[in-house]
Amino acid sequence: MLRLLHVLVVAALVFAAADVYKIKFDSTLQAEKVAKLRAEVRRERDAIAALRATWSELGNPERLQGLARRHLPLKPIDTAQYDTLDRLPERPPEVVPPVEVDPIASLLGRDVDVTGSVQARGR
Amino acid sequence: MQPPTSRELVPVAAAPRRSLLHRLLYGRNIDRSAKARARVGLAIAAFAAVYAVIAVRLVTLAMVHDHGARRGIAQDAVATARPDIVDRNGEILATDVKAPSLFADARKIVDVDEAVELLSASLPDLDSLEARERLASKRGFVWLKREITPKQQIEVHRLGIPSLGFLDENKRVYPNGREVSHVIGHVNIDNQGIAGIERWLDTHGLAALHMAGLATDRLQKPVELALDLRVQHALRDELLQAHDKYKAKATAGIVTDVRTGEIVAMVSTPDYDPNNPREALDPTRINRLTTGVYEMGSTFKALTLAMALDSGKVNLNSTFDARMPLRFGKFDIHDFHAQNRVLNVPEIFTYSSNIGAARMALAVGIEQHKAFLRKMGQLTRLRTELPESAEPLVPKRWGELNTITIAFGHGLSVAPLQSVMAVGALVNGGHLIPPTFLKRSEEEARSLAVQVIKPETSDKMRYLMRLNAEKGTATKADVKGYYVGGKTGTSDKIVGGRYSKTKVLTTFMAIMPADKPRYLLLIMLDEPQATAETHGFTTSGWNAVPTAGKVIARIAPILGLEPRFDLPPADKLILAAAKEAR
Repeated sequence: MLRLLHVLVVAALVFAAADVYKIKFDSTLQAEKVAKLRAEVRRERDAIAALRATWSELGNPERLQGLARRHLPLKPIDTAQYDTLDRLPERPPEVVPPVEVDPIASLLGRDVDVTGSVQARGR
Repeated sequence: MQPPTSRELVPVAAAPRRSLLHRLLYGRNIDRSAKARARVGLAIAAFAAVYAVIAVRLVTLAMVHDHGARRGIAQDAVATARPDIVDRNGEILATDVKAPSLFADARKIVDVDEAVELLSASLPDLDSLEARERLASKRGFVWLKREITPKQQIEVHRLGIPSLGFLDENKRVYPNGREVSHVIGHVNIDNQGIAGIERWLDTHGLAALHMAGLATDRLQKPVELALDLRVQHALRDELLQAHDKYKAKATAGIVTDVRTGEIVAMVSTPDYDPNNPREALDPTRINRLTTGVYEMGSTFKALTLAMALDSGKVNLNSTFDARMPLRFGKFDIHDFHAQNRVLNVPEIFTYSSNIGAARMALAVGIEQHKAFLRKMGQLTRLRTELPESAEPLVPKRWGELNTITIAFGHGLSVAPLQSVMAVGALVNGGHLIPPTFLKRSEEEARSLAVQVIKPETSDKMRYLMRLNAEKGTATKADVKGYYVGGKTGTSDKIVGGRYSKTKVLTTFMAIMPADKPRYLLLIMLDEPQATAETHGFTTSGWNAVPTAGKVIARIAPILGLEPRFDLPPADKLILAAAKEAR
């Protein structure tokens, strides 16, 4: 009875030791990963900051103005070009769609394409 | 295994407690099996205690989990991090980027001459004399070159000189350079703010954070300014053009929101590049709006008229005699646009009559004049977030002559920002709001505001300002659709203790829209020259006013002002509307 207990306890001890070793190994691995990721995050953040600085340098209004003057035909907007929505005129009334068939052409009939430069068929 | 029961302990219970355990373990007359159990029990207790300690320690370690995280910081960021500065739309005005810096352990260097020679080949702007001296100093840590480029870092690394090392430092960059120089200020090589908002950041907690070594992270909240980069650019662009066109010594301009006191744009040319702070040392590049004090000239008449109207002694129909120059002692006060007749109050404003303004101030009284200007913040130093500020030059003895000259803006020098604050109060309904460079809501502004004049007086001032753009000296700034109003000012500069006839300072204060002002614009030109286009004039109406007109046409759409057309003239729109409302 007591012997069985001893064997069980020893087995449990060995198992516990193995388990603790595994946990420790894993945690070291994880800690290394965390440190690596943290360094990477910092590097990325620095890179983002550098890019953002470059971006706002490129978006500097003075630079854009120079580029726009050189390459675009646009001009500064004039107050006369503004208007409010309520001054927009009413929508024009529905227009009757134009007749599909050209009335003169139908009068002329088939000879419509005969002009001075286009010879009538059959001649 | 059973714990010792109370039955076995009964015979010894009478003995003192300390000896109970002792006797149980070692006593001769105790039963052997009881003794064994007691010993095993003791062993169990001891082990349990040890395991308890381990368990507690494990829990604490698990709770304080970033135990080792701080280790990396020491190698990083010697120059401490600063928060980004952004404008009101989130555009970056100042930010940190990492830049490597080169240092050396001078004790370990083998050959100083060779090292310096190799280094100066890859770092052309290295001061070789200083580097030699530093390397020969035998100190454990010397900087050789701060903030080098990554390419230079690789080159230096390839040289393979022992004892050299690199540290990543935060370097402050200003992507918009000159556009915002005077507002932002700049930092020194150790990333400490030494001017402008940067300095303000340091005095408001950042320096303490740096001392504690906590401000190393990039995750600090960005500081939001009231500035609008687009407006700032438009203002600066037009001012630079005016600078060249009128060959002025300096120009300055400011746009504020009269309802909140926010400074939306502030430019003073010549300016400097904060990325190259050495330029800032040049005294011609100072910020004229806060560090300079000027006699503001006729723009001050707005204050005089507001005081007179607010006192109740004068109304819009009051008349003042401007037929003759005003004689005081040996001084004669003349009018520039002399009408030589009796003028009413609106005429005094639009013709900018010195005589009329002086008579008006005298009618109110000297003490009241002084008290009014004090109330308007014109006699004390105005403090904003910017560390640079100037004390106004107030006459030590304030007599009748002082009141006469100050009534039309001579004899009292104030910082232009100060007068902007006062004129803002004249037109926004009478609330004096201290200007700020930081974002501020209308509620916050209202809680800071002091009522300095009656709302009715403010209505009258708006009317007068608008009238001036309709038929006074400010017609050239009347951009169609924005209902601009304003007051011009031209003051003679003092050269060698005398008022110069040729050197002038011209100013223009514009409000838009005049019926319900939202923005106030100040344009100031220092010593503008006459050109063919100005027909030989150097007064404000010929240089500051047209410049303001151009600025308004550009910034009003950015500021979200909607152009309105076919508005009635000032007396109908402002005065009549104000009367109806009451």
